[in-house]
Order: sequence, then C-alpha cells, then structure tokens
Amino acid sequence: MNEPISCEIKLERTLIQDGPKFLSHKLIVAEQVAYLKPTISAMLFCFVYIVVGFFLISLASYILLHSQKMDLAIFVGGFGIAIFTFGVSLMQPFLKRASFDKNSQLFDNKRDRKVKLEHIISLQINNKMVVRKQALSYYCYELNMLTKHGRRINILNHNNFEQLNSDAGALAAFLQVPLSDYRRKIIL
Amino acid sequence: MIKITQFLAAVLLMFSTSVFAEESASFKETISAISKGVDSFFNDYTGWFVSAVFKSVPIGEANFPLIVGWLLLAAAIFTVYFGFIQFRRAGMAIDIVKGKYTDPNAQDEGEVSHFQALTTALSGTVGLGNIAGVGAALAIGGPGATFWMIICGLLGMASKFCECTLGVKYRTVLPSGAISGGPMYYLSQGLEQRGLGGLGKFLAVGFALMCILGSFGGGNMFQANQAHAMLTYAFDVPSEYGVITGLVLAALVFSVIVGGMPSIASVTEKIVPWMAVLYVGMAVIVIGANLDQLGAAISAIFEGAFTGAGVVGGFIGALIQGLKRATFSNEAGVGSAAIAHSAVKTKEPITEGLVSLLEPFIDTVVICTMTALVITIAGLNAGPFDGTGLTGVTLTAASFTETAEVFKYFLALAVILFAFSTMISWSYYGLKAWTYLFGEGAKTELIFKVLFCFFVVVGATIQFGAVIDFSDAAIFAMSIFNIAGLYLLMPVVKKELKSFIARVYSGEIKRFD
Repeated sequence: MNEPISCEIKLERTLIQDGPKFLSHKLIVAEQVAYLKPTISAMLFCFVYIVVGFFLISLASYILLHSQKMDLAIFVGGFGIAIFTFGVSLMQPFLKRASFDKNSQLFDNKRDRKVKLEHIISLQINNKMVVRKQALSYYCYELNMLTKHGRRINILNHNNFEQLNSDAGALAAFLQVPLSDYRRKIIL
Repeated sequence: MIKITQFLAAVLLMFSTSVFAEESASFKETISAISKGVDSFFNDYTGWFVSAVFKSVPIGEANFPLIVGWLLLAAAIFTVYFGFIQFRRAGMAIDIVKGKYTDPNAQDEGEVSHFQALTTALSGTVGLGNIAGVGAALAIGGPGATFWMIICGLLGMASKFCECTLGVKYRTVLPSGAISGGPMYYLSQGLEQRGLGGLGKFLAVGFALMCILGSFGGGNMFQANQAHAMLTYAFDVPSEYGVITGLVLAALVFSVIVGGMPSIASVTEKIVPWMAVLYVGMAVIVIGANLDQLGAAISAIFEGAFTGAGVVGGFIGALIQGLKRATFSNEAGVGSAAIAHSAVKTKEPITEGLVSLLEPFIDTVVICTMTALVITIAGLNAGPFDGTGLTGVTLTAASFTETAEVFKYFLALAVILFAFSTMISWSYYGLKAWTYLFGEGAKTELIFKVLFCFFVVVGATIQFGAVIDFSDAAIFAMSIFNIAGLYLLMPVVKKELKSFIARVYSGEIKRFD
C-alpha cells in the first residue's frame, strides 16, 4: 500500500483546450509585484453582451409598462437576462487579476490554491491549434508554470505569441526561474 | 464605475424608449420605402442572375428549373458510382461517429471527434431550412413535396460523402496556421493534379464568389428575416421593428465572428444541438398527440407525390418544390459542408466523408419529414397550393400551435437560435471564400465581417421578395461550380474509399469495441 507512486509530467502538453483569438492579458511588473492585466479589447467583447442584455431588459420593461404584451416582455426579458448574465460571467475572469507578489511571497490567480513563489520551479511556453467548425482555426499559446510538487498551472492563454514570449521572459526574470519553449509542430 | 453604469442605463432607456416611441406612420413609411428600394435594386441588378440560375424548361404544365435537375442527376450519379454507399456503409458511418475506429488512447488534446464534428455540422444544417423551408415547400408543392424531399435527402447523402471527403483530402494549412479547406481548394488543387489547372482555378473562383453572395443572402439575410417573421407571428411584433431584431442579432454575431471569444463559440455549439432536440421533441409530441391522423398524413404525402393534386404543374410541381427546399436545407452538392468538415482532425478523409453522409439523412429524411407530418396533420395547408395562404415559417408555426399554443414560444426560441447559429456558420463559409479570393489579413477579414453584420440588419429590416430569390439563386449557383468539379474528382474519392475499406478488412485500421 505504501509503494511510491510515480507519475510522468508532460511539459509539452497544454493545460486548456480552448483559447481566445486575441491578446487577452499583458504582464505588468511593478517592483515587488507582477500581475496580469486584461486588455481593453478583451473587455470590450464581453461588454457587447452586457450592453445587448441590458438593452433587451430595458426593452422588456418598456413593453411591460406600455403594452399588454406580457408574453413578448417575458420572451425579450428572458433573452436579455440570459445574455446579460453570460456577459457578466465572461467578464469575471478578466476582473480577477492573477498576481505574483514578492511581499507576500505568493502567487494568487483567484482560482486555484495559492502557491508560494519559492515553490515555482519553471515556466513553459506551449502551443495548440484551436479548431472550430464555425470559425477559422488558429494557433493559441499558453504560458504555464510547474511547481516543485508537480502541479502545472496556467498563467497566460491567448494567440499573440510575441507578447506572450516577451511576458514569459519578463516573468522568468522576475521569478528567477528557467523558461522553456515547448512549442511543437501540430499536424492535423 | 457606478456613474458609467448609470449613464449607460439612461442612454439605453432613452434609446429603447425612443425606438418604440417612433411607432408612427413616418417610421413605417421610411422602412417601407427602404424595403421597396432595396427590393427594386435587387430586382433591377440581379434579376438576370436569378433568371440564369433558375433557367427552366417546360415539362407538362410546370417549368422545371435546370439547376434542380443538375443537383438531382449528380446525386443519382454519385449514388451509383460509389455503389450505393449511403445504404451499404451507413453502419460503418455510425460506428465511426461512435468512435469505434478511434484509438481511445491516441486522442490528442484539442481534437474534434467525429461525433463532435457531426453535431456541429448538423447545427449548421438543421435550422430554418427544416422549419421555414418545409413550410414553403408544402405551401407551394403540397404534401407530396415531402416525398421528393426524402428522395433528395437519400440521394444527397452520396453528394455530401464525395464533397466532404475531398474537403479533408485537399485542405491547406495557411501561413497563419489556420486550416482551410473546401471546394475552393479541391477544385483548384485537385484538378491541377489531373492536368486541369486552368479549369480548376476558374471553378474555384466561381465557387468562392457564389459562396460569398450565398453567405450574405441565404446564410444571413434570409435567416435574420425569418427570425423576425417568427417574432411577428408569435408575438405580433410589427414587421417594421425588424431593425431592432437585426441590430441585436448583428451585435451578437459581431461579438462572435470578430471577437473570437472561445466560450461564446462553445456556448453556441452546445446550445444549438439542444434546440434541435427541442424542435424534434415538439414534433414528436404533435405527431404522438395526433397518432390517429398519421396514416392519413402519410397517404397524403404519397398520393400527392405522384398525383400532385392541387399543385401548379401537378407532380412535377411537387417534385420541384421538394427538391429545391431539400437542397436548401441539407446543402448536399452545394459545397458548404465541405468547408465545415475540412477542419476536423483526422488522417483519413474517408472517415469524414462517411460521417458527413449521415447529415442529409438526419436533416432531411428525419427532421424535414417530421415538420411535413406536423403541417399535414394540422390541415392548415389546404389546396390549391399556390403559396397565397400561410407559407414558410408561419405555416410551420401555425401547424405546431394547432396542438398546443405554447409551442409557438418554444418555436420562436428555436428559430432565433437556429438563425443565429446558421449565420455564424455561413459567416465562416463566406470568410473562407473571401480569404481565398482576397488573401488573409486582419483588415481584409474585418471588411467581410463588418459587411456580414450589416447584412444581418438589412435582412431583418427589409420586407423583400427579390432578395429572397437572389439568396436562393446564390446558394444554388455554388452547386454549378462544385458539382462540375466533383464529377472530375470522383475517381479520387473512389480510390480513397477502396483503400480505406481494404485496410479495415485487413486489420490495418483497427476497430476498438
């Protein structure tokens, strides 16, 4: 029962299946803290849903107040609430700023368990092809980190390689850990 | 942040109030004038194109469009040439979808499975063609049109098999890493390999042009228009408020096709199959609730198919409507499905071809037939079938509502989501054709996407006749270029098929039960 469990960590594997077709975050290094800042374009596309949802809810309210079409008001309002909620849920991950704080010595992405900076042993760049049936397929890149306990956690995930590569270099220097490029040729 | 939200709320309320406050004669007149203007523009400048595509020859009392014969003949030839593959290899196609030819340990991350490929491709084909298209077919062709739709669906399976196999075989990796495939590529590359480079290029460019027009017409304006027509039917929304429907749909389409937000695309891909389930579920309930009338409805379909009672042009008239609407619904031979299927991750083009042949069966033979049964059972579509009564989406919706009033709300939901999903699919097809003609590039692609969104608003706003004819013609015109190439390339598909089957029997391609 006490046999050691061996497991292989494949550093060339990506962690997330999907990824956006735009630059979603940039790394900002401010003295003792490095954090991921969402880009305006990423926020704007989420905002379209919030605006459309809000518009439909307003429209439903108007219909409810000025006409007897209850069924239309419910239909339009239902759509509005669904789209608005969807927009908010899309926006939320962008508002949670992942940070590497040298003051507290912690990495916190507001999602996974916090990681001590000293436990981060390396960073990896991975690539993948996001294949869609209803859109052009595209390359997407991940910046992932490996902890000394064997956990791999995603830091960045978008399709602007130049920015990701630059951010990865800056983060590796900030954390003083090695950075490896695990991009591979993808054959469909 | 609070101030921004308050400001936004005020602006939106003002806007929504002002839009509704415009419920005046001048607003109606303006919209009506724009409608007439656009309709007359299309009539004047594209009428010749519509006439050319739908050039007809008189057969009895009916005028038989040559393009319908072109599609039917091709489907029949492919069926015979591939040895009735849709019947003989249907079991294998189902096994591929079930994953019995996929090594469960070898699947890479990010791979689109054949089952996912089928469901997503179905979300592109199951849509308004099954709802509005069948309504239009039966309104003009009578119940007998259903029989010919089924025949067209069964034969069309072979066309789809051929084009989707070629779509994967000749797909290309663009400099950006994007996978691009479809008739543009197999026509140009495939025919070049056969020493017909010039012809291939001509057919590919012709196809791409028609595909762009088709994406603006049938894949966009028709969808937006019918979505608003459904709202008008279900909720009595005035038709001139289509501009609001158009703006909302355009904003959502813009976010998906310009934004490239992965979760939005995923949600669309996940919701639409459920909408298909909802639609089929409602049809089953209607048929189940009227089981005693099912026999009579089936009889009406078979009798109408050969007598064409009440149909202009008799049984030929019924046949024409059945074939036209079936093609519009399942897109077999049109070439659009080959674009969608070329993105799948597979080493064997034949497997994708086999999976794709299930689409016309599910789309036309199963779902369109269910719609037709619902309409025939409801009895609202009485002869003479000249299209002057209820037609299109309103005939289908009224027939569902005969059994339960609440169905019109579900139908409205399904129609809007189907329209949205189809617009996304066609924006992709159109963009592929656009990038084939004008090259890749952020600016070039953005021009297409903005144009596409603009036509969503136009489609929902305008009350048109000529635009619908043009939409139809552009999609059918795609098949002229596509099928011409398929005839020349079908030996390539046959060779691939023989090789695949031989390797399955020899055990080289393993089965995982």
